[in-house]
Amino acid sequence: MGKTAEKAGFLGFSIDVWMYLLLGLGAVLTTVDLVLAFLFAPLVLGAGAGGTAVINGVAVSNQLLLSQKIFFFHVPVAISSFLVILFAAYYSIRFLMTRDKGFDIKARVATEVTLMLVVLTLITGDLWTRYEWDAWWVWEPRLTTYFILTLLVAGYFVLRNSVEDEERRAVYAAVFCIIAAVDAPISFMITRLVPTKMHPVVLRSGGGLTGIQLLAFLLGMFGMLMIAWVVFKLRERQEFASERIEALKAARES
Amino acid sequence: MELRTKEMLTSMGLYALLVLLVYHLAFSQVDSYDVTPIGAGLLWLAIVFTSLLGLNRSLVHEKDQGCLEALLLSPIDRPVIFFGKAAGNLLFLLIVEVIIVPLFHFLFLQNIEMSGAVWMLALALFVGSLGIAGVGTLLATMSVNTKGKDFILAVLFVPVMFPLLYAMVAALSAVITGEVLFPGEWVGEYWRALGLGAGYDAIMLLIAFGLYEFIIGA
Repeated sequence: MGKTAEKAGFLGFSIDVWMYLLLGLGAVLTTVDLVLAFLFAPLVLGAGAGGTAVINGVAVSNQLLLSQKIFFFHVPVAISSFLVILFAAYYSIRFLMTRDKGFDIKARVATEVTLMLVVLTLITGDLWTRYEWDAWWVWEPRLTTYFILTLLVAGYFVLRNSVEDEERRAVYAAVFCIIAAVDAPISFMITRLVPTKMHPVVLRSGGGLTGIQLLAFLLGMFGMLMIAWVVFKLRERQEFASERIEALKAARES
Repeated sequence: MELRTKEMLTSMGLYALLVLLVYHLAFSQVDSYDVTPIGAGLLWLAIVFTSLLGLNRSLVHEKDQGCLEALLLSPIDRPVIFFGKAAGNLLFLLIVEVIIVPLFHFLFLQNIEMSGAVWMLALALFVGSLGIAGVGTLLATMSVNTKGKDFILAVLFVPVMFPLLYAMVAALSAVITGEVLFPGEWVGEYWRALGLGAGYDAIMLLIAFGLYEFIIGA
């Protein structure tokens, strides 16, 4: 990442400007998503507020219907986490191909963002399962594979901290990141492969989203991706800057 | 080599035996117990623990005596080194399984009439062991060069292997108690689980094979 990269921009704005624009836009979109979700999106399957509704022949209380609102936050975060770890794996492959230290930093920062998203997903998912399934945790395929993903991402950092040699650390981390990323598509597909009727399959044709629900969901999705990208970019900046400072320090001492 | 083989086999076999002994601890407070429903899981647990020990040992020796450097210097293709190490680990694992599986049956599943044939059991064990040895070799080669060594191996190995073990426990469970738990359906269940496990093996072995060169060169 030299000077040329910093000056490069898109549509006349520099990356810096885009970063803050997208951060603002992402924040606005996710907020609008939540406002829409709570104030405008109808309750699932057109149930009315107040009392209970009958869904698939089962009486469901309002508490459950409202707990569904977390969908508008939980799903965008979860999907972002899958996408970001795939980016981390992509940067890891690039690193192994080029041995360019920049790609190592990018892969690490992307994995950090994944860790953040994964933890958010687990927390929001947990809040939902508490009301929906009456348990904080259920050993259900989607939850299990996602838990595995969390452990893999955590293991990535444990591995990094445990290798002293810098070059070796980067290579090991890249290899492990690629292996860990295999779990992301598995976890994404598992509700389709092993249907247990517990964790809902959201993205499918003929899914039950009405117009305003779909709008809110898509806004949240894009907003969350923008935020993830900006967080990635900011952390990347910081890492590259500290890298340069270290290099300058070393140059000054010698 | 001869000496090391003996040492590895005795330590792995003994360790597996100890794991089985500790299992009994879990059931020691009930008069009569039936472990059949969880038998497959317990058996795989013993195999996982034993393989963790074996994988770590197999590479620590290499590192301590500088064998890995010697191997790298010798005019062999790097992928061949991976196959050699993985095949060695697979062989050890299979030998240990030949000892502990009948022992497990003798200690915990004596009165059970197994649903499947012995070859079905052996096939499930083989598919699982193949993945454990392949990916385990890659991860162990990484972990011996870290500060944490066996701890790192466990932290990386268990989650990576989880999907495979999940499928293999399902397959083994179908073989052991299929007729009782899912009468009529267990054969299909067995092949489905085996297929999933074999698919995971194929993907993971391909990745491990492709990436081993980077690990060993670093």
